[in-house]
Amino acid sequence: MKRRTFVGGLVLLGSAALGCDKKSGPTGAGSAGGGGRLRIAVIPKGTTHEFWKAVHAGAVKAAKELDVDVVWKGPLKEDDLKSQVDLVQSFTAQGVSGIVLAPLNDKALISSVKGATRAKIPVVIFDSALAGGETVSFVATDNRAAGRLAGERMAKLLGSDGKVVLLRYQEGSASTFEREEGFLEGIKKTPSIQIVSDNQYGGATTESAFSASESLLLAKGADKGDVGGVFCPNESTTFGMLLALQKAKLTGKVRFIGFDASDKLVEGVKSGQIDALVLQDPLGMGYTAVKTLVTHVRGTKVEARIDTGASLVDKANMAEPKIAGLLRPEIEKWLGK
Amino acid sequence: MTTLLRRPWFGPLVALVLVYALFAAVSPDTFARAVNLSTMARQTVVVAIAAVGMTYVIIHGGIDLSVGSVVAVTTVVVAQCLRAGYGPLAASGIGVLAALLAGLVNGVLVAHLRITPFIVTLGTMSVLRGAAKGLANEQKIDADPRGLDELMAAVPPDSWQLLPTGVWIALATAVVAAVVLRSTVFGRHVVAIGSNEQTALLCGVPVPRVTILVYVLAGALAGLAGVMEFSTLTVGDPTDSIGLELEVIAAVVIGGGSLAGGQGSIWGAMVGALLMTVIKTGCTHAGVPNWVQEILTGAIIVIAVAIDRFRRR
Repeated sequence: MKRRTFVGGLVLLGSAALGCDKKSGPTGAGSAGGGGRLRIAVIPKGTTHEFWKAVHAGAVKAAKELDVDVVWKGPLKEDDLKSQVDLVQSFTAQGVSGIVLAPLNDKALISSVKGATRAKIPVVIFDSALAGGETVSFVATDNRAAGRLAGERMAKLLGSDGKVVLLRYQEGSASTFEREEGFLEGIKKTPSIQIVSDNQYGGATTESAFSASESLLLAKGADKGDVGGVFCPNESTTFGMLLALQKAKLTGKVRFIGFDASDKLVEGVKSGQIDALVLQDPLGMGYTAVKTLVTHVRGTKVEARIDTGASLVDKANMAEPKIAGLLRPEIEKWLGK
Repeated sequence: MTTLLRRPWFGPLVALVLVYALFAAVSPDTFARAVNLSTMARQTVVVAIAAVGMTYVIIHGGIDLSVGSVVAVTTVVVAQCLRAGYGPLAASGIGVLAALLAGLVNGVLVAHLRITPFIVTLGTMSVLRGAAKGLANEQKIDADPRGLDELMAAVPPDSWQLLPTGVWIALATAVVAAVVLRSTVFGRHVVAIGSNEQTALLCGVPVPRVTILVYVLAGALAGLAGVMEFSTLTVGDPTDSIGLELEVIAAVVIGGGSLAGGQGSIWGAMVGALLMTVIKTGCTHAGVPNWVQEILTGAIIVIAVAIDRFRRR
């Protein structure tokens, strides 16, 4: 009877062997420590979102250009803090040449990053900040500048006066807070414009953003023409607001600037329902993060803070190659699917 | 030799050694390093401690699906206590106490309302997840860990301690639990109920009391696992450990636990937990993408259960 357990163990082993042998080749990551070739671990927050695919493409682009190996590995469970902590530890134990990390939490990853630094593995942080630890560089969108861009454009759209609504994303989210503050800074350069609401939050989901948008538009009398312009700081709030504007038949009447892109939002820009979107450059972020780390490892000094920039897309500039590249990053070209 | 072969943990242990050897052969430069052993031991601690409690529950003939939520609640409670100014020991104690109470609720519902453990803990899984989010105001709770993070911090290579404190705590927990299971009246009662509840009842085993105690124990151990989780994360995270219960159950089942009750081994569960970490880490080292790793982990759980059925036929 007990021998069967043993046989079972062997079956189990066989399946493990099958899965792993098969895969170590195609990812091109199996050659650890092979003749001094650099091996860089890139750890995103998740692997299934479009944003992270573009980051992946950028990382692969940099790897091909600089002739290094990139190991792309996100948390097994999307957005799971513990898996990400485990990954940083595993790569540290593995002794990779460097780690590029987008921390899911600005505090929780500090001790693992410190562990990597102690093991003499340099770490570049990208996308979101880490509140401590010794890192080589922080590569991300300057969210405040991106928000300011939106604020200035809004002022331009409204002319000399108008009433503006800001729908915030969520309490405690650092990146969107910066965008919101940047937007307010940008709009305040035109003192005649009035900010009628800046303390409402859309919440985490499109659904919560939609209901918050509906009540906000109603409360501020958007149907009577009392709202001139609206800004939302991320994809879910922008989409929620778009739905609310559509439902209230206010699209085109209210100037609307959003943040980040999705197919639906791009469609909105095309049809004139959204005046502009602020776009980040995830592919450029992945590319720059890996390149920065490699430059550091190869002995050249790098900047401690690198802004990967943000651009405004509207109906007029959609077709420009640079903007089109942001709207449709060359994911297939680099990831080959 | 034959007695060794009879041990429930022997099969999984052989599998563990072979899988380890396999990954060491695939990535010899990185996987076989000593520091990796210590890292893997550290990453197993949470599942291992929770699996000790789960082994009792499964031997008893029950199941506890609320483990992941209990761990999340504990991280939040510990973080909130630290923020409120409690010391690390007091905060951990309160965290474990909260988890113990959750276990008590499970136990009382199973023992006295005669609802099947699957349903009871399916319910408390959701209730506790919600409670964790409420306690944390739906966000991660930052708190100064005040040394609690040291439990799971990597030890310097030349330290006398060899392994992180958390690993020693997990080992000690397993030793005590194994002795209690084998050599105390309570332990024998648990096995007796799991083997045949009616017979145990007729033989004078205080079934309700033992049942409640088993779930209390499982809750408290999940709480201890939660303290370790907090030590790893250094934040209280209400969305943490979703699906952890499945990993813990898998560890117990791989280690020879039978979901029909009456069978299971603490050391088997420890080996099962370690086996899953080795596969997880090995796949990272070998550059296996996540989707393959997920398929692999799932396949292992099914194979383990298949073996369980096969063994008892």
